[in-house]
Amino acid sequence: MLQVLVGVLLGGAMLFGIVTGRGERVFSGLMEGAKGAVETALSLMGSFGIFCGLMNILSHSGAVEKLNKWLKRPLQHLMGEVKEEAMAFVTMNLSANMLGLGNAATPAGLEAAKRLAEGDRAGNALCMFLVINASSVQLLPSTVVSLRASMGAADPGAVILPALAATLLSTVSGILLCKWMEKRT
Amino acid sequence: MILCGFALFCLLAGAFKRLPVYDLFVEGAREGLKTAAGILPSLLVMLGMVKALEESGLWAALCDLAAPVAEKAGVPPVLLPFMLMRPLSGSAALAMLQDIMAVHGPDSREALMAGVMMGSSETVFYTCTVYLAAAGVKKSRHTVPCALLACLAGYAGAVLFCP
Repeated sequence: MLQVLVGVLLGGAMLFGIVTGRGERVFSGLMEGAKGAVETALSLMGSFGIFCGLMNILSHSGAVEKLNKWLKRPLQHLMGEVKEEAMAFVTMNLSANMLGLGNAATPAGLEAAKRLAEGDRAGNALCMFLVINASSVQLLPSTVVSLRASMGAADPGAVILPALAATLLSTVSGILLCKWMEKRT
Repeated sequence: MILCGFALFCLLAGAFKRLPVYDLFVEGAREGLKTAAGILPSLLVMLGMVKALEESGLWAALCDLAAPVAEKAGVPPVLLPFMLMRPLSGSAALAMLQDIMAVHGPDSREALMAGVMMGSSETVFYTCTVYLAAAGVKKSRHTVPCALLACLAGYAGAVLFCP
């Protein structure tokens, strides 16, 4: 899907540019964007590195295990009867996601998904897990804060509280919708 | 304030558990640098695409088309392409967020709202595809529609909480 979209958008930009006589500008835009990406990634590296360092300390001090314990009961409530082993991967994935530890979250999430599948059909538990996961549960949007810091925002952390509220809203909506749809699909 | 408090909390948590705080800090930073370097190639293409679209005039034409609807919903029209791209590709969304910050300033309402949207949503299609494929599931039932509506609720939250 992304292949097609990028092809269409980039191709469309070139075609539109050539037709309206702005071909040169389109190509120099492409180059300028790439240059900007390198600058962004480089300055992002600094602040993002700091965040990942702090998160690493936090996850080693048992934050993931604590969250696992807190999440277990509400999740059992939402997902129904789930085997102990599958639940362990679910909580591990969601805790890691909450802390923004993408590298730790994905492997656990894949294991959880494998164990929750009912043949080639997604059972209620798997649907719920994926909807919660895809609704974003990250408590601190470290990439956005890092990007804001690297772009020179007066207060890079200004997004934290609104993002937390919006994340809560999206996750709760996802859960409610999922529960409502369970009986209808 | 929040950020500094958070940093202090992390350090204290590590010190309390008698962990090698400095070593863990460096190790985490190394992972972070790897991640940032890892997204560079796709960020490069995506930001190139965004700039090419802007220069071609196609961007403005498309935004003008959708502007009346967006304004009614309280969303600045410049955010629309970003909102459409967010569920599809994280690096494309990051590229667009960077562009919004560069054009309107990182402290503008547009940049703040887009940042909140970015922070409160996921790459829905990517996540669902990868997990469903790993589970060998073909009948995903209501998963994708519900996840997309949740994303939309996050957007609504961003509009609501960024006056």
